[in-house]
Amino acid sequence: MSLIGRLSSDFLPLFLGGMAVNFEIATIAIAVGLALGLMLALARLAGGVMAGAAASAIGLMRAAPTFVVMFFLLNAVPRDATLFGEPFALSGVMIVALSLVPYSAAYVADSGVEALRQFRGGSLPGALLFLPNVTRAFFVLVMSSSAGAAIGVTEGITIILRQAEQLPALGDRLVLFAIGIVLFGIPLQAGFAVMSFIQRRLGRFVARRTADAA
Amino acid sequence: MTAFCRAAAAGVLAIVVGLAVWPLQAQQDKSPDAALARLLQAARAALPGACAQPAADRLVRILCSGRIRIGVRDYYPLFSSRDGDDREGYEVDVGQAIGRQLGVAVEFDRVNAATRIPLLAEDRVDLVIATMGHNTQRDGQARFIRPHYYQSETTVVGPRSLAVSGWQDIPGRTVCVTVGNGSNAELVARDARLMLFDEAGVLPERLKDGTCTLAAQDDSFFAESFTDPAFAERYAQKFGFAQVPWGMAVARDGSAQLARALDLISQIFHRDGVFLELGRAHRIGTGFLEQQQAAWQRPECNTDTGAANDVCVLPPFNAELKPTPFAGGVAAFEAWFESWTGIELSLPMLATAPAWAMFKDGVANSLILIVGALLATLGFALLFGRALGSRSAPLRWPVRLLTVTLQSSPIVLTLVIAAAIARALFPFSDAVALGASIAALGLTNGSNAGQAISEAMLTLRTEQALPRGGRDLFARALSRSATQIVAFLVNAAKGTPIASFIGAPELLSALTDITSFSSGRATTYTLLLIYYTAVVMIVVWLCGRLRLLLERRQAMASA
Repeated sequence: MSLIGRLSSDFLPLFLGGMAVNFEIATIAIAVGLALGLMLALARLAGGVMAGAAASAIGLMRAAPTFVVMFFLLNAVPRDATLFGEPFALSGVMIVALSLVPYSAAYVADSGVEALRQFRGGSLPGALLFLPNVTRAFFVLVMSSSAGAAIGVTEGITIILRQAEQLPALGDRLVLFAIGIVLFGIPLQAGFAVMSFIQRRLGRFVARRTADAA
Repeated sequence: MTAFCRAAAAGVLAIVVGLAVWPLQAQQDKSPDAALARLLQAARAALPGACAQPAADRLVRILCSGRIRIGVRDYYPLFSSRDGDDREGYEVDVGQAIGRQLGVAVEFDRVNAATRIPLLAEDRVDLVIATMGHNTQRDGQARFIRPHYYQSETTVVGPRSLAVSGWQDIPGRTVCVTVGNGSNAELVARDARLMLFDEAGVLPERLKDGTCTLAAQDDSFFAESFTDPAFAERYAQKFGFAQVPWGMAVARDGSAQLARALDLISQIFHRDGVFLELGRAHRIGTGFLEQQQAAWQRPECNTDTGAANDVCVLPPFNAELKPTPFAGGVAAFEAWFESWTGIELSLPMLATAPAWAMFKDGVANSLILIVGALLATLGFALLFGRALGSRSAPLRWPVRLLTVTLQSSPIVLTLVIAAAIARALFPFSDAVALGASIAALGLTNGSNAGQAISEAMLTLRTEQALPRGGRDLFARALSRSATQIVAFLVNAAKGTPIASFIGAPELLSALTDITSFSSGRATTYTLLLIYYTAVVMIVVWLCGRLRLLLERRQAMASA
């Protein structure tokens, strides 16, 4: 029987559903990262004690390994924890998303500081580079969200690994993994294409504005 | 004469019969039934006077009150469950049978895993029959009734289609378990990767939704799931291990006669198949009960001293882990820290010898992994950079394809692929898992860094500042791409904990294993986060020095 025949009939819909979870995790992580990272960027440029504290926080977040943060959130936050009097039980998706926040916030903060410096220096094109940078970070987060497989979150890689366990031959499993890489690679490469497109359009827009001003 | 002869004959006959019957009578006296009858008769004979005595044995107090208080669980399907005032299950029926044997009414009280022994000690129940494994640690807390009324084992459950039949199929596989289960240590020793859950109740659902491919839990727990035809059709018990005898228990103090009576009742119930019939009625596994019936029918066991005969009874499960030489100091430090800060600190990795050994190995392996990943990243970066920057298309294009492939593969998938290939080539071992992890992390990060080097080479060629090709160009490209190289080196160091996903025995993996059979998860993972963050910060500092060195070289070359 061919590999396609051995794959369960619901593999593709399950995989696409799993990939949707990857995008959901990345969306949460980048949204929280944007909010936190921009605040840190502003604090970093404010100077004084605040800038020092923000720099230290960014350094720590940059160094925190995502996978360890994920296990920390999974095991160190009590199941019956409360926040402002409300139950605060984290779902698997939220645990993975929050574990990616230190990376996304540190990245946004670094990019934000650079963008704000460029903007204050009068370089709008330099400041607008913030947008493709955030888009790049988003797709890195989509790929990184596959770490959720380690704690049982049903994302794209989890679906592939479950399917692979049913295939006894190494050759079949490698072909399945290759399919997974292609399926993950398509949105990733498409994302990078979108990023390039945004960069080009921004370049033209800024060039037009500069020409108009002149 | 005739009368005399008749009398003499009758006398002889009486002596012969007497001699013949006497050993039989003596044999009956040594039976558990006779011993139980004598014990109960003696206790009843002391009534009602003994009822007022404060030091009276619990057996006397039970007979005085005409009721026995038995602690059972409220929800343990097939064994003991409650619906309003109605209770049912194997343990409930065992309790009722004991009440009948003692001639008293039964009053059931709710207990759970945490309260069953304290309630005995507080004299709020006389007896617990509550799915309690008899182990050496609990021997000091309660008096266990022997023979044991049931035996469970940890069973590994998975899809019928999955080819797992024993320990040889376990290394490297993920097994879902509950935190604190004593049998987790055995799984860890067999190189299983553990996925931890707080409650056993979620395991069947996690099997059904595919989160868990394999789950290990007490077979008595899975017994109910297998009564569901749909579950039984999809899943099977692959194999079992860590057999634990279950014991009824009474308080250690003031229960000597009650314990003796229950020992004898338990012997009789096994011998006569009472336990076996109750087990069959409730559709629990009866293999152990069948073995025990055969054992307690043997002459050497079917005596009033059978419960004390090591040939007949099972030993308790030995769940004690050897403490470290400094365990006392660790406990004192934990207590001091809590009294000083109010924060409960638990350091399970320092408390027992197996945990300490795993912790030391974990630290050493995580450092090996970090150094290996850094060297592999640097090595692959140089190789990829050289190949991608080459003017030879047959060399450049395959490497470019490999780079795009690696960039499109999530790191988890790259690790799994590396592990699958490594396992096909070598037998599974810690070294193989570490090697596969180093290769995967090095390839992923090295390919990206290599791309940066090749792009730097391209810009240098475009600038036409240098002659085409040659070592000088490559060296200047390294200097120009220093920031990118350093970024991917740091990324490789940060990514090392993910190697635990394929069974590499680094620190995250070791601590997950340790916390699966001990307490202190919050402290352990907090310390782990601090450790890895500190290590990555050191790597960042070292890489910063490397970048400065490379940039200085570029500045000197430009000058």
